[in-house]
Amino acid sequence: MIHLFRVSKIYAPNYPALVDIHLEIEKGEFVFLSGPSGAGKTTLLKLLFRGEEATEGQIIVNGRNVTRLNGRGVARLRQEIGLVFQEFRLLPTMTVLDNVALAAEVVGTPVRESRKKAFNLLRELGLKDRHDAKPPALSGGEQQRVAIARALVNDPILVLADEPTGNLDAEMADETMRLFARIHDRGTTIVIATHDAGLLKRFSYRAVFLQRGRLLGDSKFAGEAAT
Amino acid sequence: MRLSRISFVFRRVLKSFRELLWTHILTSGTMAMTLFIFGGFLLIQQNLHGLLKGWGSQIQIFAYLENRLTAAEVEPLVNRLRGYPEVESVRFVSQGEAWENFKKSLGSQSGVLEGLSADILPASLEIALKAAYRNHDSLAGVAQRLRTEKDISEVEYPEEWMARFSLLVLGIQWAKWILGGFLFMATLLIVGNTVKLAILARREEIEIMQLVGAPAGLIKTPFVIEGMIQGLLGASLSLLFLWLLFLFLSSQLPFTLGVLTDRAQLRFLEPESLALLLFLGWAMGAVGSLLSLRRFLQRW
Repeated sequence: MIHLFRVSKIYAPNYPALVDIHLEIEKGEFVFLSGPSGAGKTTLLKLLFRGEEATEGQIIVNGRNVTRLNGRGVARLRQEIGLVFQEFRLLPTMTVLDNVALAAEVVGTPVRESRKKAFNLLRELGLKDRHDAKPPALSGGEQQRVAIARALVNDPILVLADEPTGNLDAEMADETMRLFARIHDRGTTIVIATHDAGLLKRFSYRAVFLQRGRLLGDSKFAGEAAT
Repeated sequence: MRLSRISFVFRRVLKSFRELLWTHILTSGTMAMTLFIFGGFLLIQQNLHGLLKGWGSQIQIFAYLENRLTAAEVEPLVNRLRGYPEVESVRFVSQGEAWENFKKSLGSQSGVLEGLSADILPASLEIALKAAYRNHDSLAGVAQRLRTEKDISEVEYPEEWMARFSLLVLGIQWAKWILGGFLFMATLLIVGNTVKLAILARREEIEIMQLVGAPAGLIKTPFVIEGMIQGLLGASLSLLFLWLLFLFLSSQLPFTLGVLTDRAQLRFLEPESLALLLFLGWAMGAVGSLLSLRRFLQRW
């Protein structure tokens, strides 16, 4: 599903955000990108949906060479990916339903079908009664669930989440993680960037460790080495 | 583009006009002013052309004949001149007729001519040109050729007047394009800034659309359509003001200035000019939007 080969990202000379990253993530995997602030987790996620361009190396996502995509190709890639951010990034002037339906409409889903899909997702995520509210009227946990609904509305094969529990209390964070686990159970590949070590303990999925832009370890291979 | 996308684009355009109504109105108004000035020049130029054409039917070349010429010798000359491609008609005015006309023009003072011989005035030819050739250059060309005819002693036509009038029309034509050009540049900047404001107002929304995979065309098209609508509204508004100005002038000008004898000679813009103004408005809106989109969307 995801292949990174000798990937580097340098924003400014002598300030590499990522250095020589090799990483493979299989279809249907659930992976944490972990590490302290400034480790390069967010940059790595951005490279996967072409929010940033790699300085060096090759990135393949779902068979597409991300480093060589033109504008149209980037749009197509993003239609296959669901994105979730720490700060939710919902439009405050639109209703919850419209926020979710917008993502379906822009990829060509008819308006009625978009709203139906959005409504069903909101119901599934326990937000049926909040569909007409504006995001500022929602709690942090509710806003993050709306953002997840938006990420799921186009049935993505891959969900990328950047610190999705960063603005939530522990209880909400666990609830959000259980939601990601449910999505993963349907076969969707999930990659979550987090600096919260507690999450990694409570949810035992593969974890890739980054520090100062370098890949320090991968629990998948650490396990194999131990055995 | 699929129907769902077309519907999406038009809903966004409507939303923008609802949310940024005054910005759109101001931009359309600015475009209307630019096109009003340009259209005003078009109107003046067109009416001067019309005036020139109207007066042109009265413009003639007078070719005075050598005194030695007999009536038999005049005939082939007249026939030869009728063969000129520019010439519509040639009328022979004999010495006797010229004398009578002159006397008539003097009216009650014609007594001053007593004692003078009728043959002091030369016989002449009154040459009228076809409508397409009633301009300064054609008149000068025909006059030049007439001067080479050995039976013609002198050629006269309102040369200076025609030259000045043609220069005036030419001046207005150039002023229209030069002044119009500056105004268009200024208007493009204004349209560009309106689109920039619209982009900034919807920056968050556009970013999210980009993140969820909206094609660039779907993001840009509503802005371009907004520009086109602004341009067409501006052009329509300018035409309305021009029409009102025209109604006012056509009721005032002929009597105030005494320039025109017939009010019907003043005419509003031809259909081609109306189409040109609408097209310019449409194009200004579209180009202004596209330039602004290129500058601001690439930054993200």
